[in-house]
Amino acid sequence: MNLKRLRRELRKLDAGIVASERDGCVLLEGEVDDYATAFAAGKLAVDKDRYLGVLNDIKVRGFEQKVSLPAESDHSLDGVKCDVLVIGGGITGCAVARELRRHQLSVLLVEKGPDVASGQSSRNGGVVHVGVNFSKGSQKLRYCVRGNAMYRKLAHDLHVPYENKGQVTFARTKVEMLALEYVHRTALDKGVVGTKVMDRDELRKVEPSVPEWSVGGLFMGTGGITSPYLMTIALAENAVENGATVALNTAVLDMKVKDGLIVEVSTNRGTIRPKAVVNAAGVYADVIAQMADDRTFTIHPRVGTNIVMDKKAGWMVNTSMGKTPFTLTPKQLEDVPADLFSRAKAMVASASSHTKGIALIHTVDGNVLVGPNADEVPDREDTSTSREVVEKILRSQQEVQGAVSASDIIAYFTGVRSPTYEEDFVVRPGIRTRNVFEAAGIQSPGLTAAPAIAVDIASWVCDYLSDAMDVLSNKSFNPVRQASPVLAGLSLEERDLLVHENPDYGEIVCRCEEISKGEILDVLRSPLPVYTVDAVKRRCRPGMGRCQGAFCLPAVMRIIADEAGIAYQDVVKGDSRARIVFGPTKEGKGTLL
Amino acid sequence: MKSEYDVVVIGGGPAGLSSAIAAAQDGAQVLVVEREAQLGGILKQCVHDGFGLTRYGEALTGPEYAERDIDEVRVLGVEEALSTFVLEARGVDCGVELTLSNRDGIHHVKAAALVLATGCRERTARQIQIHGDRPSGIMTAGCAQNLVNLQGMLPGKRVVILGSGDIGLIMARRLTLEGAEVVGVYEAKKKVSGLVRNVVQCLDDFGIPLHLSTTVTRAFGRERLEAVEVCQVDDTLRPIAGTEELIKCDTLIVSVGLIPENELAASLGIEMCQQTRGPLVDQGFQTLAKGIFSAGNSLSVNDLVDYVSEGGARAGHAAAAHALGTHQRAKNLIRVDVGERLSSCVPQLVDLNGDLSRVVFYLRSDGDYPEGRVIMRSGSRELAYKRLKPVHQAETIRIEADLTELDGDILAMLI
Repeated sequence: MNLKRLRRELRKLDAGIVASERDGCVLLEGEVDDYATAFAAGKLAVDKDRYLGVLNDIKVRGFEQKVSLPAESDHSLDGVKCDVLVIGGGITGCAVARELRRHQLSVLLVEKGPDVASGQSSRNGGVVHVGVNFSKGSQKLRYCVRGNAMYRKLAHDLHVPYENKGQVTFARTKVEMLALEYVHRTALDKGVVGTKVMDRDELRKVEPSVPEWSVGGLFMGTGGITSPYLMTIALAENAVENGATVALNTAVLDMKVKDGLIVEVSTNRGTIRPKAVVNAAGVYADVIAQMADDRTFTIHPRVGTNIVMDKKAGWMVNTSMGKTPFTLTPKQLEDVPADLFSRAKAMVASASSHTKGIALIHTVDGNVLVGPNADEVPDREDTSTSREVVEKILRSQQEVQGAVSASDIIAYFTGVRSPTYEEDFVVRPGIRTRNVFEAAGIQSPGLTAAPAIAVDIASWVCDYLSDAMDVLSNKSFNPVRQASPVLAGLSLEERDLLVHENPDYGEIVCRCEEISKGEILDVLRSPLPVYTVDAVKRRCRPGMGRCQGAFCLPAVMRIIADEAGIAYQDVVKGDSRARIVFGPTKEGKGTLL
Repeated sequence: MKSEYDVVVIGGGPAGLSSAIAAAQDGAQVLVVEREAQLGGILKQCVHDGFGLTRYGEALTGPEYAERDIDEVRVLGVEEALSTFVLEARGVDCGVELTLSNRDGIHHVKAAALVLATGCRERTARQIQIHGDRPSGIMTAGCAQNLVNLQGMLPGKRVVILGSGDIGLIMARRLTLEGAEVVGVYEAKKKVSGLVRNVVQCLDDFGIPLHLSTTVTRAFGRERLEAVEVCQVDDTLRPIAGTEELIKCDTLIVSVGLIPENELAASLGIEMCQQTRGPLVDQGFQTLAKGIFSAGNSLSVNDLVDYVSEGGARAGHAAAAHALGTHQRAKNLIRVDVGERLSSCVPQLVDLNGDLSRVVFYLRSDGDYPEGRVIMRSGSRELAYKRLKPVHQAETIRIEADLTELDGDILAMLI
């Protein structure tokens, strides 16, 4: 809508909101009482034909974003020059850094957190998406389809678990089946292959856990699952193996932009002088874009909680499954008046929620993930969980799989998605600033899309840099990551041989997940070693099982301390302030010392 | 390590040690498989005293108590496989075959009889729906106990403890002695879960407040824990809105129950008891899988190590008898049901070919009562009777019964 009409509409929301046009975007300013109003204003202002995007700078009274910054402060990166600086160690940034090393470019990736995959890249369901639900012409669709096609080889090269068991959505009625038939027919047009509408019996062959109420559904053969954090870590490690540098606990604080070029990037570790900058900063991508004078969008945090079920519940789902977005389950229908209008309204409301309707996921580790929900929140770092949300997710997913039970819960986690108001990716070269490249607004299907996004970004960066220098291809680039053995995947004979080579593989440290000391040491000796309990946990699982580390934490800390050559009390959970112990006890000795 | 043993005991804690001793005393070739580098199990980190009052009539520390059994194990020539982990167990003709992993390689060992003494694990903060942030400083009591007593490290300075089970109470005292400030112990139930003596010795003596019908609902803190939200709960243990209170602390220790570790038993397809969450066993602690026995906290969670040892010995003797062919279990087993005011009973079955003259039962009440009488009956026949004053849910009721003359299934009740 035009500015005049938008202003009129915004006044209905809150008289304090001011709308104007700036640099091809619509800018919202002012101050309101609650976040819902600020969010609603942002949504109202979306007009993709008229504007590049919404810049929502409306302040919410009483809320100020607290940005967690690393405790570290030094000059280790001061004066460093590089060809490309990648900001953000999520899956997109790590994929870009790796892709860039196919060329002879110096690549530095900075990540504000204590490890790569510190944000949403480690806090999602790990689904390699199909793409049917994205609209034609969207970047989400394009990169999802391209990324999906790259996954098998990528996972194979990087030695990351990936399974292609497909994805299933269930329909309750014949009418819904017709709608799925339509989805199926438009899929090919969108470039999505491998979809099939199946009746109940056929569906049961791919997904034995079809709910009672379902008459059938859509099977999507290209759907898969991976481990999102292992994939991110593997991309980072392979980037490092190929010569990229990764600096953790490093936050970008400011930039100096001169004549349409970023000339300096200041961090808590000194000022870096890159020739090109890639913005893959996740929930803070708009803040970084603003620093680079290239902002055309606003990130509005959207949280989602997933529940992790014990491996014992693994039988409950074979694929990734859920109801169609517009399906109302029998239980939901109980709360909706029986007339057609009410039902249609409820279906539309259900369909416009921002999850892909994935309800239960069989993870590559054999656990079941239940969730996620989607809630708009003001805080970009609010990864807290709540009992209400967990219970709500359980209740709704019990509709899909009746066996889902609270007693199988071993953990739950919340991730913060980073959508723009336009609800599409912003993957492009800079508009006003020539040496910035945006990989922003990346939320689901970001895990799927990342490899394809990385290809485009790397190619644009090379094009840009070739104007001023020779960009040679890196002949020694090796796409295959040197992976260490995963004992659980070996035969007993292979394991025995391995133990004879290295006895550490025979010593089991984590009893729940059966992880050996050798596997933990491998992680600590990787190309990108991170000497924290969380880093070890994500990479090889001690602490992820049913005891949640109660048994193995003290032992894992000992291994980390010995390997890193640090004192026991200096072993932390993740961030350097996340101490686990405060030093020796009064008596100063344990019976083991 | 040999490739065959009469009896293999999995777990070198008090239950496993007693089983191994008993089986070796009866002439069986015994192997104890222990995951850790030393025998003793959880006793290694229980440096407080009070162990052995029933068995030895003296108050020993955990390590002292374990040492006596370890000495005995060594005198008897029981073989030890330390730092050794069981990867797989599967039933084969006349026994069980185990796949073990240690620094020497992968080993296959056959046992004519197997004793599962795998202990228990703690319920975690996540399992009891503590929400909010996920900083460091939230751990189970057993983990904190390991850090303090085995690693010699202080896990917190200002500590909140959730759960009034024995480990929670003991850790309140231990942390106070080590220089931490324990702000309070919170218990969702209306009554203390641990032993009365521990409330007196661990909380009252140190002026640590105990808050009943109150639980921890949220944790706050980005890196290290900064505070927890506590909340009163209703009769169904659900938080009551409006009663939230913020308590500043850097550590939350949860001691909210123990769960028998029976993953190995489950992989062997052993039938479980819903009440104890351990296998169903007869009076020799033989499970329904022939030749597989269960003892200690993996059979049912105990309050006293003395009972663990007593039961372990019973399992060891029975396992040896099975392995050496001196005992064959009867085809049909007699059921022991729990009636009024009792929540569980071990053993749940009686083997008529086994020893019937002095069968020991371990019972648990379903609540606290000022007094009560435990009666065991078979048909019209009274098998055992015991008067209790008071009855604590937290305390095991040990009762001996003469089962030489039975009149059908057995019923235990508390009236």
